[in-house]
This record gives sequence, structure tokens and C-alpha cells, in this order.
Amino acid sequence: MKKVIIGNHAVSWGARLARAEVISAYPITPQTQVVEELSEMCADGRLDARFLKVESEHSAMAACIGASATGARAFTATSSHGLALMHEMLHWAAGGRHPIVMANINRALGPGWNIWTDQTDSLSQRDTGWVQLYCETNQEVLDTTIMAFRLAETVDLPVMIVLDAFYLSHTAEPVDIPDQDAVDAFLPRRQARFKLDVSDPHAFGALVRPDSYMEMRLQLQEAMERTRDVFDRVEVEWQQRFGRRYGAVEAYRADDAELLLVTSGTITSTARFVVDRRRERNEAVGLVKVKMFRPFPVERLRALLGGARQVAVLDRNLSPGRGGIFSEETRAALYDLPEETRPAIHGYVVGLGGRDVTPTVLDEIIDRTRASAVPEREDVWVGVNP
Amino acid sequence: MSQVMIADRVPTHELMTSGHLACPGCAAPLAMRLVLKALGPQTIVVMPASCWSIIAGPWPQSSLKVPLYHTAFETGAATASGVRAALDMQGDRDTTVMVWAGDGGTFDIGLQALSGAAERNEDILYCCYDNEAYMNTGVQRSSATPRGAWTSTTPASHPEASAKKDIVAVLAAHHIPYIATATVAYPVDLLEKVKKAKAIRGTRFLHILSPCPPGWKFPDEATIELARMAVACRVFPLLEIEDGVRWRFTMDDDTTEPLQPYLRCQGRFAHLTDEQIAQFQSDVTARWKWIERQVAASE
Amino acid sequence: MPERRVSPVAVSQTSTLVTKTGSWKYIRPLYQDRVAPCNAGCPVGIDIEGYMSLLREGRWDEARDLLLLENPLPATTGRVCHHPCETSCNRRQFDEPVSIHAVERMLGDYALEHPPSLTRAAERSEEVGIVGSGPAGLACAYHLARLGYGVTVFDAAPEPGGMLRLGIPEYRLPRRLLDGEIERIRALGVSFQCGVRIGQDVPWRSFLGLFDAVFVSTGAHLGKDLGLQKENVAGVRAGLAFLKAVNRGERPELGRRVVVVGGGNTAIDCARTAMRLGAETVVLYRRTSAEMPAIPDEIEEAEREGVQLVFLAAPVAFHAEDGRLRAVECVRMRLGDADASGRRRPIPVPDDRFTIEVDTVLSAIGENADLAGLPPELAVQESGVAADALGTTSRAGVFAGGDVTNAARTVADALGAGKRAAVGIDRYLRRLSDDGPNGTGLPALRFGNGNISMARWRDADPVHRINALNELVEFDDLNTSHFRRVRRRRDDRLSLAESRGGFAEVNLGLDHEDAVSEALRCFNCGVCNHCDLCLIFCPDVAISRRANGGGYDIALEYCKGCGVCAEECPRGALTLTREGL
Repeated sequence: MKKVIIGNHAVSWGARLARAEVISAYPITPQTQVVEELSEMCADGRLDARFLKVESEHSAMAACIGASATGARAFTATSSHGLALMHEMLHWAAGGRHPIVMANINRALGPGWNIWTDQTDSLSQRDTGWVQLYCETNQEVLDTTIMAFRLAETVDLPVMIVLDAFYLSHTAEPVDIPDQDAVDAFLPRRQARFKLDVSDPHAFGALVRPDSYMEMRLQLQEAMERTRDVFDRVEVEWQQRFGRRYGAVEAYRADDAELLLVTSGTITSTARFVVDRRRERNEAVGLVKVKMFRPFPVERLRALLGGARQVAVLDRNLSPGRGGIFSEETRAALYDLPEETRPAIHGYVVGLGGRDVTPTVLDEIIDRTRASAVPEREDVWVGVNP
Repeated sequence: MSQVMIADRVPTHELMTSGHLACPGCAAPLAMRLVLKALGPQTIVVMPASCWSIIAGPWPQSSLKVPLYHTAFETGAATASGVRAALDMQGDRDTTVMVWAGDGGTFDIGLQALSGAAERNEDILYCCYDNEAYMNTGVQRSSATPRGAWTSTTPASHPEASAKKDIVAVLAAHHIPYIATATVAYPVDLLEKVKKAKAIRGTRFLHILSPCPPGWKFPDEATIELARMAVACRVFPLLEIEDGVRWRFTMDDDTTEPLQPYLRCQGRFAHLTDEQIAQFQSDVTARWKWIERQVAASE
Repeated sequence: MPERRVSPVAVSQTSTLVTKTGSWKYIRPLYQDRVAPCNAGCPVGIDIEGYMSLLREGRWDEARDLLLLENPLPATTGRVCHHPCETSCNRRQFDEPVSIHAVERMLGDYALEHPPSLTRAAERSEEVGIVGSGPAGLACAYHLARLGYGVTVFDAAPEPGGMLRLGIPEYRLPRRLLDGEIERIRALGVSFQCGVRIGQDVPWRSFLGLFDAVFVSTGAHLGKDLGLQKENVAGVRAGLAFLKAVNRGERPELGRRVVVVGGGNTAIDCARTAMRLGAETVVLYRRTSAEMPAIPDEIEEAEREGVQLVFLAAPVAFHAEDGRLRAVECVRMRLGDADASGRRRPIPVPDDRFTIEVDTVLSAIGENADLAGLPPELAVQESGVAADALGTTSRAGVFAGGDVTNAARTVADALGAGKRAAVGIDRYLRRLSDDGPNGTGLPALRFGNGNISMARWRDADPVHRINALNELVEFDDLNTSHFRRVRRRRDDRLSLAESRGGFAEVNLGLDHEDAVSEALRCFNCGVCNHCDLCLIFCPDVAISRRANGGGYDIALEYCKGCGVCAEECPRGALTLTREGL
């Protein structure tokens, strides 16, 4: 069944088809439609779930944790300040190995107030132990939401689906909505590895002393490392059943490219258009889309980017005092490549706080990159007015 | 009968084990033990940070024989809401979800989540064991600390300046179905209230005064006596409030003991002058009278 | 995946029992019983706390048997004893003492209605002769019989009972009850030979040869003179002789007005008896009501019945007319310093005199033992036979007790003396030393510093106290927070008209339900009654009930030594001691 729906509703549909059992959320622009739609679904019986309209995002995540710890499939959605408020509980969810799925609509952080897209909110949470999956289209949003539950419950880690404010959240696109039966076959009921159960009582999350804390964190790290392969297997099965897959990293017209753009989120779509135009002019320009940010797909990026002459990484985010976060991660990932295959990495900070990243901006980036054999600086801010 | 023969009225099963890490004479484990006796094994405990985070035992131990989830300081009521929701989805309406929080996790950092859960009338039993300061971190003041008390952040030269927050009045304003106060000194009263709470659906709040020997500075063995004195001198009235509007005292006699001995046997009040004690007494009397008006209005 | 030592999340795998928190403590609780003050204060040496405890659990027959182990005459003492147990009852400092006498009376009556089969030790060949069948003689006979001895009791009176039968008015002690209790002693094999005055009908020398041991308990029957002129004028009589006559069924002519001189039980008995014979009665006592040795309840009853009490007054002269008493002249007294008895000495106020018109004066200022009728060569001290705690006299094999010695002259003291003498005789006949087998030294037999326990002597304590310490529990050792104030039940009384009109029993005791509620008022001082408070209040879950119901175990490997259990024990059955001691 195809429907024309906005990105936020694609999230809602994903959570509904995944049969989320407990949903706990707090309103924030531009996320609100996700939970509005879910509350409608719960109210009219299309979704059999308990919907907790809690009094803060912090409590939203706490309630998801409680529900997940009791064996339920738990879901929430948020954005920006809401995500920041959750920060403590994001650690709690991951450390407790609770397979919660959350959609985060990328939005800039204040002050001043800014409701438009910017990845700094989700990237600020990179060390909390959540898997992060960035989406480019509404179809990808819906598919990823369902796959996220399967992934989370396989590796016992929480998963964050990330989509751009307005460019996806409020933009309607045709989306193929899978049959419930087919989704049920792909994603059976959750079988919790540990849960609060009066017939088998245990305490969870007690004091862990220095003699054991590292061993638990090591297992968290190992689960993250395992996630790369598990995600591939999940996608393969999704593709078998539904005919679509995205990849933790996707290469677009990258063969023999001398210059590769590295993008995430909706900038990727714009970049595809620009790359197509450059290829028509026989310019060796390609594209690598990073979907999975945590765990970071280091080997995949080395394989795809190694051998190109230049790499231009586009960051709609900022770690003040350091720069674009994807470019930093990419540099670190490629550092161990032999010098002869290691490309020059040009970082570009673009589109903060919802500023449009147009083909013109991308053309400028491609041209400036090709014009300088070595990067002008570590991060070049493009489109900044004087 | 002249003796309170409570042996027959206190269930014998134990849902708590020895070897827990409470200080000697701590009332908090006793409160938990009694509450669990009334609730029985079909109980899930959600525990935000508090002394009990330690009392429960370090991993891989647990001093409880019921499931226990340790959660972040401010999230007791929210986490419990999630547990309740999951049980509901599993068709389990019988298991009691209990939050077990200290005064800090209730009066201060956890108040927002508690207010949210209470307003939604979540089907949880929220127990606050109140030792009137942040004891686990070394006796810092909380909004449950009584006026005039020494704590490690309110030195005797500048003791606690604010009156204790009236948490049951705060909860009563949420019109939740059941609120009660209790102490370890009156186990049968405590058990009866927990049993009553257990049978009610919706948010239930139990405020348990829990004397702390090192924090209040009194000898370990006097814990029960302190709780008893707090009730007798009306510092901690034993109450029940239904739907936030029907207030009643649950003490079986209305004699009052002087405040002086209660304050004088605690090191945290050692610096109080007679004038300050008189001020304390007038706070206690004023609150008592206010409660009396609520009770009268309920009749 | 290989099994890891550490789980992926902090999920518990064991309980905190692996942590032995007992190592934290520097004091430890000791679970041990101590002695209730009622037991220590009872001259008979009754395990009052013990039978109260059994009654609490509804174990009536055991309570009766425990009482009868120490006291042969509970229906009697429940009525006539001055109950010092109630004076020492810790509950007195809380609200009002437990009405112990009423509970004893109920149990005593129960024992008559439901006779027990009394246990006896293995039969022994020795024979003991007892001279005098008052409470001391009866107690000695009873206990010796239960210890296995053959016992014969002799009395000059036609029926056994001594002063209980001769002196105490019927309205205080109905004779059928006394008869029943004596019958119970007879049923143990004790034989009674009444109407025989030893030393007169049978010479002492030949009498002593008949028995392996003899107990002398001939009492004190000689009334003291007032020491005034015209004391033998008609109308002046000895109070005790008057009571004996009435108790024999005579109704002596007293005239319209009677003055009784004295403040003891004999004086009050005389006054109330005289009143029943139709006289207006005045009691003259030289001190005040506070010093009056009579039982307070009896004084109260006398006043209720209309007896007039005149304090701080003493007779100084009798005025007679035609050889018949007409008036008694009295002097006012005031109280001076305390004398040897601890009471303030009365001092006459010489010019303050008054006269009471009177037909009969009954003198009741005390009785003396008839020392002339005693066995020869028996050492005398002050006005009584010299005897030690176990009744041992200066003559081997001759024991003495009761009013004939210098002991306090109460029924209870006589019963206690008889019991101690039975132990003394048992020890003498079995040639046991002071610290013989089974710890038979006297201190170990006593309830604290009180009388001895026959249960301990017979090594048959049915209460099974835990690690018992022979140490008294004071009021301050109790935690009275766990008790509610409950009024003591008042004994029912016969109506005034019925009381005055005859010799029916006045004090009707408590009804069954009230007597049981009095038993439930008992604090059980010093003795664990399994109230569970220690267990309930233990913050460390370290106290548990023993499987067989025999008290509690304290898990010292977990007990942190907070002391809450000892502090909260309502009855002082838990104490604290320094760790390592």
C-alpha cells in the first residue's frame, strides 16, 4: 500500500507496524506529529499500546526504560532540547541494555531559539551507547524504524532513528507501507533476555564496583561492534521481504571517483543531483552516504574512500572548538590507511540551524575542493554571510 | 488487652535478607521490610538513588526477594509508570509497582516526575522513606529537612532556615486516591495502610518517617523511640487522605507530648535555644491546627 | 559465546546473605529471661509471672499446676493474702498493679472445680511429723508429700487449718474452700490427727522419737495485754478469742458499742465481726491510716460497712460500773521519729484526753507464741523459736516455721516458711549439702532475692525460661511504649445490706472474663512471651523464631549490634553486652 505521508508520520507508521507496546513522549517541535499520530492510532485501536503522556522528555525516556526493563517494546520520539534533557537517561538505557527505539528529529539547540534542522542534537549524544541511524527519505524512515526494533532487540542496545527537521519531518512523500503480517513475520514479539519478573526476581542496576564495571562496559562495546554485522543481516532480510535496503554506508557513483562527497541525511538527495550533473560532464565525482553513525562504519568507509584523491565531508553540525563531527570521525577512520591510498579530507560546515544547502552550495564545495590539493583548513564554513 | 500483641498481625514471611548495607539502627530497611510484608511477593520495586541504592546490596547481590530496578535519582515515578504500562500490556493487573524513594528523590529532584505520575493517576504505590536530608551523600539538607536542623550544608551557626515542605499537602492537591503517613514505630498501622493502598488502583503515596542515627545524631538503639516520639509530639502526624479531600488522623489517642525531649535527644538540634524550640513548637502547632481544619472539613 | 564472570548488565545473581554484617558490631544482644518483681515479692514463692503467661495463652491446666507447685492453698491466699506481689508489681508505676490476688483466686477456685492429679516424687521411706495445721504446717505437709514423704499432721483443734479456720472470719474465707484445699492435701496421703496437743497429750520426747523429722508450726495464739488496770473487768476481751468463738459458731453478747484496739488484720476482723453481731464499732489506732498494718482493702471494707476508725489515739483507762465496763478513756497521740520497724513512733499528747462510752473492748494489738508448749531444748530468740531460712532449729531433725518463729505474721509468710522447711527437711533427710547436686544452694532456688521455687528444687520448671538470670527486672528495664493504659478491674462486692447482715463472703472476686483480662494486663516482666517485637523491629532481619516455639534465635553473623531489639523489648528479656565479653 502506497501513501503520501510526511516523515513524522512515517515514523508513526513504523512504530505502529512494529507493534510498539509502550509509548511515552513529550511534545516538541518538530517532533510533535510523530506522537500526535501515534496517539490517534492508540485512541482508535489501530495500535494496541499504552501511551504515556509524561511531563518531560526525561520522564519519557525513564518510562521507556521502565517498560523495556519489564519486557515491553518501548518507543519514543523527540528533538533537540528534549533529547538534551534525556541525556542522563540515554546512558541509563544503553548501560541497562534496553532495546528502546527512539526517533530524533534533528533540530538546532538554543539559544537563540531555532526549530530548524541541525544534527548537533543527536551527535551530542554519540557517547551514550545508542546506535544512530540517519535517514534520507520518508520511505527510509519507515523502513529504518521497523528494522531498528529488530536490530535493538538482537543486540540489546537502544537505537535512535534520525531525520532532518522539516526537510523530512514535515515533507510529504509517497511511502510504500508494508503489510502488517509481513512485518510481524520480520519482527516477532520481543523475547527479553532479562526482565523484571516476579516469578524470577532479580535486581537490576545495583552498585558495580571497579572490579567489574569495565567488564560490563567492554560487553557494551562488543555489542556495538557486533551491531555492524547484525545491521547488515537485518537489512538483507528486509530486502528479501520488502525489496529495499540502504546500507550502513551507501556508495553512489563512487567508482573511479577522484572526489567523493560524504553526506548524511537529506543533504544526500541534493548531493545525488549535483553528482549526477558532474558525472554528465565526465567529472570523476561520487558520493558516499553515511547512514550509521554509531557504531561508526570504519572499515566500510576505508574501503569506499581509500584510493580517492579527495574526500569532502559535509557537516550540518558543529562541535565548537573542533569543527564538523563527521569530518573528524572520517579523518580518524582513514588515518591508518597507507599514505598512497589515503585521500585528502576536506571538511565543510554547512546548513547549521536549518540554512538551506542548495546545489549551488555543493557546487562551490566541489570546486573549492578540486582547486586545492591540500585542504584550506580543517573545516571550511560555506555559505556564511560576512 | 493492655499489650499491643502484634505477633499475629505481622506476616511472618520475609522478602528482605540480612547482610544489607544499612547503618546499624537505620529505620529505612525496617520500613522496606514491613512494607514488603504487606505487599507480598507480587511486587516490583523501582528505586531511584537514595541510601537504599546501597542498602539493596552491590552487584551481584540483592537484599530483596522481589524484582528491583535501580533508576536515576529524579525518575522514580516515571520509571514506575513505564513498568506499570508494560505490565498492563502483559495483562498483569495484580502485580504492585512500588517506587521506593528517599526524601531527596521525592521532595526535591523527583518531585516533577512524581507530580506528573500523580496527575496522570498512574497505578503505582509511591513510598517515600523520609530521613529528612541527603543522608547517603553525607547529610546535606533537603526540602524535607526541618527548620532549625543542622546538616552538613546548614551548619549550626546558620541552621536550616525553611520549614519542611508539606509533601502530603502537595500530593493531596493532586487528588490522588490515597495518601498516608506512617512510621516504623507503629508496624501494624503501617501494614494496614500498605494493605489498604495495595487494594486501591491509581497513585497511592505513603510517607514514612525514617529516623537516621548518624544523620540525626542519636544512639542506634533509639530509632523506634525517635519515630514514636515524632508522632507523639505531633511533628509527624499519622494521617490518611482519600482523594485529596478526606483527611483523617489515624492515631488512637489525641494526647500530645512536649516537643523538647524529641529535639533534645538529637544532636542535629543540639544548638537550638529555648526560643528556637518555641518557634519550632509553634510551627508544629500551626500545621497540626491546619490539618485539624482539613479533618474537620472532611467530616 | 563463553560464559563470562561478569554479566552484560548489573543483574543480581545472589542475595546479600554473602555479606556477614555481624562483623560490624561492638555490642551484642543477649536473649535471656530475668525475674519479675511479683515473683520476688511473693513470700510464698509463687511463679506468678509464669502462670500469667500460661493464662495468656489459654493454658489453664498448666497455669493451675504451676500455681499448685508452689502454693497448696491458692483459693485461700487469693482471698486472704495481703498480696505484696501487687505492691511490687511494675505495673503500679505505669497505671495500676495487676489484680494478682483476683487471678490467683480464680485459678484457685478453678483448681477446686477441676482437680489436678498432682505429681509426686518417688515414694520415700521417711516419716515426718508436723505439729500445727495452720498455713505453715499445711504447706510443709503438702510439699513433703509431693516430695515423696509420709506425713502426719497433728493439731490441738478439732479440725485442721489453724488460724485460717480459727481466726479468719467466714465472710473473708468460706470454710468449704478451706476444706476443699485441705482435702486436696489429704488426698496426697497426708494424715491428720486433730484434737491432740503434742507436749501435753503426747510428751515431746516420745513424739520426736516417732518421726525422722518434725516440723513445729504451732502458731501464736496468746493475745497481748493492753497493760491497763481493770483489764479483766467484764466487757474487756481478747480480740482473737472473740474471733475464735464466733468462728466456732458462738454469738457472744457485746452490747451496743464496741471499741477495738489495734490496727492489724485481727483488729479489722474483730470490728467487722462485731458489727455483724449488731454493735456500733470503733477502731482505735495509735498511728494514722498510713501506718496501719491491716490489708488496705479490708480497712476500706470496714469503713464501707460502717466501722468508725479513730486514728492517733490509745486507751489509757477503763471505767467500770457495777463490775461492768462503761467507758474507755483515751489519749491523743502524735507521730514522732521512725522506730525500728521504720514506722513513726506514736507519742502521747498528755493533756489531750477523751472518753468513749462503750460496752465491749476487744484488744487486738498482737499475739504471742506459746513458747512453754514447745519441745525441750529448742533455742528461742526474742519471742519465737530460733530458725534459719530452711526452718532448721537448734535441734537436729526439728524444724520450725510460721508464727511460732520470728517471721512476719502473714498467711503468705507462713506458707513460704512451710515450703522452705519442706526443702530443709528434704535436704536433711537426703543428707544433701548446701551446694549439693543440681545446684541446690539456696540462692539458686530463690526468685531473685525472694522466696525459693519448688519448681527449681524439683528441677521441674514447666515454663522453660531462656538462659534465665536470677536478676530482678525494674520498671526502668521495661519499654512501656508497647503497653496501653488499662484500668485494673475492681473486685465485685456483696451489697452493703447483705454484708452487714451475715457472714456470707463479701469480696466476690472478679468474674471470669475480668480475671482473664487482668492476666492479660501482666507485663510478663523479664520473661519472653514471644510477642515478636524484637523480631519485627530488627532492621537487619537477624532475629527468627525457633522452630519448636522456644523463643528466638539471633543471627549474630548478621546482627550489627544496633540494640533496637533490647531497647524495644517491652519486658527486659533482652540485654546488651560488649562484643567479645
